[in-house]
Amino acid sequence: MTDPRIRAAIRYPNDLTVPGMWHVRLVRSPYPAARVTGVDASLVPREVVVLTPAEVEPLGRYGCQISDQQVLAGVARHVGDPVVAVAAADEATAREAANLVEVGYEQLPAVFDERAALRADAPLVHDSHAVSDSDAAYFGLRPLEGTNVCHRFRIRTAGLPQGRPYTADPEPDDHAEGFDAAQVIVDETFRMPATQQVPMEPHACIAGWRDGRLEVTTGTQTPFNLRQDLAGLFGLPEDGVRIVCPPMGGSFGAKTFVRIEAIAAAVARRLDRPVRLALDRDEEFVTITRHAATVRVRLGATRDGRFVAKRVWCWVNTGAYADCGPGVAMKMGYAGVGPYRFDHVAVDSWCVYTNLPPAGAFRGYGAAQSVWASERVTDLLAAELGVDPVELRRRNLLVDGDVFCTGETVHDVHFEELLDDAARAVGWRPGGDNRGKGVAVMLKGMQTPSRAEVGLRRVDDGQFEVLSGTTEMGQGAAEAIARLAADLLGVEVNRVEVPPPDTDRVPYDTRTTSSRSTHMMGRALEAAVEDLKNSGSDHGHGRVDNQGGLDPDTGQGVASSHWHQGAAAAAVEVDDETGLLTLRSVHASSYAGRVVNRAAAELQQEGSIIMAIGTTLFEELTHDQGHVVGPNLSDYNIPSALDCAAVTQTILEVEGAEVHGLGETALPPVPPAIGNALATLGYRPTELPLTPERVLDCAEDAS
Amino acid sequence: MTWMAPRTVAEAVRLKAEWPEATLVAGGTFVGILTRQGLLAGEDWISLQNVRELRELSTSSELALGAMVTHRRVELDPDVAAGWPGVRQVFAAVASPRVRNAATVGGMLGDADYASDPPAMLVALDAWVEALSVRGLRRIPVAELIVGHYQTSLEEDELITRVLVPRGRHHVTYRKLRTRSREDRPCVAVAASLHQGRVSVVVGAVAERPQRFPDLCATWDPGDGASAAEIAAGYADRIDPVGDHRGSAAYRTRMIAVEVRRALDTLAPAALSSQAAGR
Amino acid sequence: MNLLLQVNGAPIQVEVEPGVMLLEVLRDRLGLLGARGTCGVGLCGTCTVLLDGEPVSSCILLAPLAQGHAITTVEGVPDDDPVVQAFDRHHAFQCGYCIPGMVLTARSFLAECARARRRPSREQIAESLGGNLCRCGCYVKIIDAVEEVGS
Repeated sequence: MTDPRIRAAIRYPNDLTVPGMWHVRLVRSPYPAARVTGVDASLVPREVVVLTPAEVEPLGRYGCQISDQQVLAGVARHVGDPVVAVAAADEATAREAANLVEVGYEQLPAVFDERAALRADAPLVHDSHAVSDSDAAYFGLRPLEGTNVCHRFRIRTAGLPQGRPYTADPEPDDHAEGFDAAQVIVDETFRMPATQQVPMEPHACIAGWRDGRLEVTTGTQTPFNLRQDLAGLFGLPEDGVRIVCPPMGGSFGAKTFVRIEAIAAAVARRLDRPVRLALDRDEEFVTITRHAATVRVRLGATRDGRFVAKRVWCWVNTGAYADCGPGVAMKMGYAGVGPYRFDHVAVDSWCVYTNLPPAGAFRGYGAAQSVWASERVTDLLAAELGVDPVELRRRNLLVDGDVFCTGETVHDVHFEELLDDAARAVGWRPGGDNRGKGVAVMLKGMQTPSRAEVGLRRVDDGQFEVLSGTTEMGQGAAEAIARLAADLLGVEVNRVEVPPPDTDRVPYDTRTTSSRSTHMMGRALEAAVEDLKNSGSDHGHGRVDNQGGLDPDTGQGVASSHWHQGAAAAAVEVDDETGLLTLRSVHASSYAGRVVNRAAAELQQEGSIIMAIGTTLFEELTHDQGHVVGPNLSDYNIPSALDCAAVTQTILEVEGAEVHGLGETALPPVPPAIGNALATLGYRPTELPLTPERVLDCAEDAS
Repeated sequence: MTWMAPRTVAEAVRLKAEWPEATLVAGGTFVGILTRQGLLAGEDWISLQNVRELRELSTSSELALGAMVTHRRVELDPDVAAGWPGVRQVFAAVASPRVRNAATVGGMLGDADYASDPPAMLVALDAWVEALSVRGLRRIPVAELIVGHYQTSLEEDELITRVLVPRGRHHVTYRKLRTRSREDRPCVAVAASLHQGRVSVVVGAVAERPQRFPDLCATWDPGDGASAAEIAAGYADRIDPVGDHRGSAAYRTRMIAVEVRRALDTLAPAALSSQAAGR
Repeated sequence: MNLLLQVNGAPIQVEVEPGVMLLEVLRDRLGLLGARGTCGVGLCGTCTVLLDGEPVSSCILLAPLAQGHAITTVEGVPDDDPVVQAFDRHHAFQCGYCIPGMVLTARSFLAECARARRRPSREQIAESLGGNLCRCGCYVKIIDAVEEVGS
């Protein structure tokens, strides 16, 4: 039998129905900031149910890191913010009814730019910032009351002054920041716009109440976080909520934390019947995006190319709601330092509210934005010094035993090998003519701390079931877990079943993000198999905790129990008259430690590279006074089969090494590799995407 | 709701006159998109799916494409390829094979979408359409058919029945500047055709309607590269382009100057050899 | 109106409003869930079905237009089909959402190549699949699979 996905033999959340279910449609704010003054449903047919902000107000607020969201917005904070929900027995009636609801609004001032939002006169998107009491708020959060900053992350290496007063736009203070010994300094500001995850399958869920328990079937990467947040909202114990997770038609971060499930649950409770809520494609664009970010990097080195100091500023545009923006801002902060040795590092990363659709998890989780800036600056410095860009990196890359800017010692790192491999793939000539070629190398962290538990059950003689909270979005998690379990149990892979997660049956797992699952579940399985053997029963349970974390004021501690390491190289041509950039070759080299499923690993890597090509060359969400322009797949292009002719890859394995996740690693280094290649041809790119128009605009001799 | 599926052109135009509010369905692509997006709530429909005449393709004198001929059929027909390479090239450039299987030549012209590929080439080739109503048949040059943003000069009760392209246009070029995905629609499209010693250059995808300036084209000296650059600059100067996701108006203006010049440079060798041959 | 449709070789009668799309008839009335509604404008290819062997976007095809044509969905493709087998062998899928559209489009393309006795290049295969979007980015392996069958 061939894989059931090929001939549509599996069911995605979007496919599911339950008998007697009603259909929910949402009424959304047409304004970027407005108070709802009234809801007039008099034109809506009597048999259609209408849920208003006033009715859900008592539920209070939720949010995975900052509690800033309401189930329905009494104050709309972005265009598209859901303000009213309607439900009917059939979808067509619900759609018509949604158009008949009249909502009164009192418009409020709005702000859209992440730096403008920090000015003293900027309107406040939220009046106050309450940190959530939830598992996802796992690090010290630092909201700044009275500002649009919902989190401020900081790194100051030892010897630098700590605890400086807050300023949104600090000028570098060379003496305080360790640049004294720098003989050459490069300082540049970069921007990456918001983009959309565009999973092929839109968000869809079914919610229903049974005997006072809430049951939600939905596409999600975060079942336990979702369970906790919904339980909190509806005043239930955590086991009063059940989350069932069928395999998703893609996610890339879009299907995380509470997305559409709270509204569905509220409507289901009102109706006392199950409901289905599914989004149209245009709604996807106002539901969740990737953080736009402005990143400034100041890099200082000695004349012979030794890095001395680095200063990084990230202004992270989290839109109307924080979601996991604080975590993204933190990760963006340290990824922007890069895999290099420094004497001194200072980073400030601000997660800033604006009246745009909320930004959240997106493959790469903040690394792409800061690595774009950081690796471009590395090349700017190489140009200043007249040093080969690969050679400059080699002189400064971290090796085993070195200390990263967080104070942690790195181990099992292979940056130089990855960089050399990528450079070789595009025919790099050391010290020679490398016009049209560029490289980049980066590190990103894996969610630390985190916890993974797994259950193991002997179903029959030689037949097993693995109970894992890891959700499937195309990365091949179930396959990998089955393989790991089969290896440990000494049975054939087809004797191990890994059903889709149901929080009533599977033990706790932090979440399926951050490319952590193969690694963490693999370790948990080792413990579970041991337990099964030792217990003499048909059950085994394994738990693994990954300790660490960073001090939010100094950025010192353990950012990641191990590092995702990747390099990329690109060879490009440019048509100087049109600005059209042609990719001759794009190569990513990533460290996997140990590969469990080679085909799936290659696919994840190719997928990341191709997604990065979109990020680099044409993906961009633009807005007009807060309205997303062209929220459809004709106006918003994603890469097609014709955009990836040049993609190649290497996956580095080392005998005896730990599994390192590969779901995201190849994405962040690709944009700067392409940007650096372009820069050798007489351009100075700082803003993505590198559309032909932007290329012409950044020509060094632009008139 | 009524679905009408006439079997002849005569019946189709009669129904169109009797049901002025009815939605006409050719390939159904555009109408399908509008319906699915909730922008059109059709009550009554007149479908051309059974009108065999409208699917005829003839190459015996001029090229005659029935309105219901699909883009895909135009792309694959060997006689079209041999006699009208520009037509083949431009219809093949549209979207993907799947889209081309459904989109019809008549439907495409009736939609008058500014980012559509074929109109620029059809204008360059001096193509015309036949439009039928109960009042009779009208010949409309494609250059006069598309008059505005998604607007044609067709009367309410008129139906495009055929698209006709004169013979003998072998020296053609079509340039499609895509600024994003290779699957994207054009930012700037330039169609150019040589005929009897004259060149016809048409710029599409930059404004409501295809843009042609015969007076500028008449100044072309194929032996002089500067002449091409001048004409291109003239086009760039005269056209007031749109800005959209594929490029700003300012970028389009710059690109018109580049792409028109490149189109003329492509045709220059053929123009020079036919000059030399005294034609 | 009453429609008589030929779906995967079998005649099916359905009563529909004329303004209904073929996609909804297939999914909601016939339970054939392989064709999916994703972009709503006939662009992404997840709604692809074959009409007389040629791919069309079912999400924007008014159901009455499908009358009189042979409709093939992925459910009508047998498991031992060479394209299905090649996709499996090359692991040419991740989440799977776009794959039915890819399989149907590839089959149609390869049939056309076979008729023309032509072995397609990777570039030609990419062209034929240009209208089938895959956000997971499986294009390289999909082209590998189609190239193998085409050789």
